[in-house]
Amino acid sequence: MKTNWENFGSGLKRNMKMLFTSYLLIVLILTVILGCLASPYFLTLRNVENVLTFAAVVSVIAVGQFFVVVTGGIDLSVGSIAALTTVVAAVMMKAGHSAFASSLTALVAAGAVGGASGFLVIKAGITPFIATLAMMSIARGLSYLVQVGSLIGITNKGFIWFFSGSVGPLPNPVSLFVLITLVAAFFMRSTTFGRRLYAIGGNTEAARLSGLPVKQSIFSVYVLSGLLSGFGGLILAAQLTQGSSLLAQGYELDTIAAVVVGGAALTGGTGNPVGAVVGGLIIAILGNIMNLMTIPSEPQLVVKGILIIIAVVFIGKKRDRILRKKQNNNNIPAELTPAA
Amino acid sequence: MQNQVGFSNQKKNSSSLADVPGEETVENKKKKLLQIRRLSKAYPGVQALDGVDLDIHRGEIHALLGQNGAGKSTLIKLLSGVERPDSGTLHIDSKSISIKTPEDAHKHGIFTIHQELSLVPDLSVAENIFITDLPTGRFGVVNWTRLSEQATEAMEWLGFLVDVHSPIRKLSVAQKQGVELAKALHHKAKLVLLDEPTAALPPQDVERLFKVIRTLQARGLSFIYISHRMEEVQQLCSIATVLRDGQKVGTYSIAETKPNELIRSMIGRSLKSSHVGETALGKRKPRLGLGGTEKVVMSVRGLDDGRSVSNINFDLNQGEILGITGLIGHGQSEFAACMFGARDCVCESISVNGKTVRIRTPGDAIRAGVGLLPEERKTQGLVLHMSIESNITMASHNEFSKLSIIDRKKEQHHVNAMSTSLSIRAGSVKQPVGTLSGGNQQKVVLAKWLVSKCGILIFSEPTRGVDVGAKEEIYELIKSFVNSGGSVILISSEMPEALMCDRVFVMSNGKFVGELNYDEIDPHADAILNLCCQK
Repeated sequence: MKTNWENFGSGLKRNMKMLFTSYLLIVLILTVILGCLASPYFLTLRNVENVLTFAAVVSVIAVGQFFVVVTGGIDLSVGSIAALTTVVAAVMMKAGHSAFASSLTALVAAGAVGGASGFLVIKAGITPFIATLAMMSIARGLSYLVQVGSLIGITNKGFIWFFSGSVGPLPNPVSLFVLITLVAAFFMRSTTFGRRLYAIGGNTEAARLSGLPVKQSIFSVYVLSGLLSGFGGLILAAQLTQGSSLLAQGYELDTIAAVVVGGAALTGGTGNPVGAVVGGLIIAILGNIMNLMTIPSEPQLVVKGILIIIAVVFIGKKRDRILRKKQNNNNIPAELTPAA
Repeated sequence: MQNQVGFSNQKKNSSSLADVPGEETVENKKKKLLQIRRLSKAYPGVQALDGVDLDIHRGEIHALLGQNGAGKSTLIKLLSGVERPDSGTLHIDSKSISIKTPEDAHKHGIFTIHQELSLVPDLSVAENIFITDLPTGRFGVVNWTRLSEQATEAMEWLGFLVDVHSPIRKLSVAQKQGVELAKALHHKAKLVLLDEPTAALPPQDVERLFKVIRTLQARGLSFIYISHRMEEVQQLCSIATVLRDGQKVGTYSIAETKPNELIRSMIGRSLKSSHVGETALGKRKPRLGLGGTEKVVMSVRGLDDGRSVSNINFDLNQGEILGITGLIGHGQSEFAACMFGARDCVCESISVNGKTVRIRTPGDAIRAGVGLLPEERKTQGLVLHMSIESNITMASHNEFSKLSIIDRKKEQHHVNAMSTSLSIRAGSVKQPVGTLSGGNQQKVVLAKWLVSKCGILIFSEPTRGVDVGAKEEIYELIKSFVNSGGSVILISSEMPEALMCDRVFVMSNGKFVGELNYDEIDPHADAILNLCCQK
């Protein structure tokens, strides 16, 4: 009897997982169909490549944002950090340093800004919103200061190839973001680090009282978010062959939207990185469709906002329904096994 | 069942004497205030309330009994307008009414004093009492003098001497309940629903609350009283209705019914020779532990946190159940937190199994083999929407991982074994822990510490808010833990639980004021109470 229920339980869990991820998948497929209907150019190789390489930057940063969101935090500084890395990398390469050294320095700077946010959150006890709001301003300001003057062009061929070229038909930005997403998914699913983050986001006090290193973990998600923002920034810099303090405006909101549409709750403890990336892709494709339909950017913003609301309401409902179903299922064995 | 007073009339507006068999006429001499017929409410997957009939008479204190999930809270929610019923009728003074919002309930004179009180913490006592109709003068300006006069009068009438200008958040729980009552009276309450009002009250305040309730009863006010404490029900209530699985089991006269019959009808099975049953019968609680061995597993000297806990010294023997008791709020929870490294404190020395250890963080405590089952299970012990499995292995990640990659097979194997041996009742270990009942949740917390191989467990109020049946199971788990060689520190403000320990320290004002061995404690715990009251 017991194994029966266990089978049933795990079967339900599997179904639910399928349902949930496939739900996002269904929406993704629907958007693609919508794109095909809207424009004959939508499914051309050129356009698909275009959308994916464009979405790569936001996707990589969204993975970083996800790590912060899953702990119940939020990172508003991601866009500014991305801009800072483009500028640092460009300045370094202009000064004649190698692509490797320049990228590494830029990433260190990005990680440091993230680390500063983390420090403010865990040591000074400032709420993530405020701490990263301050760092958003500081990082943007620093990128102006490092840039000194107008934008800086990037001519380093190796750099441009690595972050923006392609191997065969596959553009490198796409490979990079897929790789990063998969590694992040593996971390969240199968490592103690991932478990810790879910536990902390789900109930910080219970995590602390289970002996988990709460503060270190929270610190590390901000560093991670900084690093991934920096990585996104490097892709952006290679794509545009320039470093500029004006880049990546509004990316904090785009990535938060991606994470939320991807099924994570801002209160923490739920979701997964793949969802966040798919969420980002859905938003990117919708933007592309509207571009192809030559809808101007102002109404696009309105449509995007409405779509986020619809997606989140729908996902939230879905999640509630699934939870209730589970509770329903739970009642049956409880009745069948009389108290001993 | 012979004591059951079965009200069988289900017709609307039936006159009180007409279709009631002879036995109940005594009850019906009093005027019926509230008549509930066939009240039902379903939540997705649960029939929370299933055709319940209930009559409340004027000036009656009616106990509502049942285990967790029996439907008490649902009934309260329906009566207070928080939720709407699926079907059923309500009559007040023979008039059909419907309650859709809390305002409706108030309009009909039904007021609820919830476990979490519903006062505005930053407004004053006076403002809270008169919150919907502040006395005003010309131009709608509040007449503050009149307000405070009326408020003072209302509070004094209830026997509370509080400054009506002070904000609610500065008041004790008892005083807040007083304000709630004053508010209800001001709005001409006919029926007050009390949802476990004594759960967070020290004994002296319980007495005072009872006095107030009796005074109001004498004035014709009716009460529905929910409590897990049988002795309170016996002391205060004249009649009790028992719910089980959303259905009414029966209505009993308290004077004519033995407590164990009530308990039996609550849980649907006999509690013969069980711990809870015997307490209810006023017998001496059986001892949980075996007395322990001579071997000292933990030794604490000079524990002090500078505020709530000072100069704590004790030795814990292997296999012993050491009770820490006292009135609520005398430093017991803080003591638990200090012992577990969850609160800043200084300590001359702590040694575990003869080795001196430093416990600065919960991680240190766990490494030393000390686990804490916190009093707030849901907020401190569990991550509710994480799976049972992940909750159980949460404190022992290193055990189940290599290079921080989790070995899922090993994890699952251990979790399944643990879930079987503690008989955690769930469909699957993958389901969220939040879907479990209170008792099963407590088992998950225990499993967490057993998996991380803690030999010393601190149980802080392990049965708070847990129903009778689950209590029994928790006691059995503690028992089998010490039988298998573990040692327990049991912190409890419930005297019956203190009686079950091998040895008891009484805590007062953050200090251990006395030590009693099992044999020195009398069945009525007078020895403990005397120590509690010493200044």
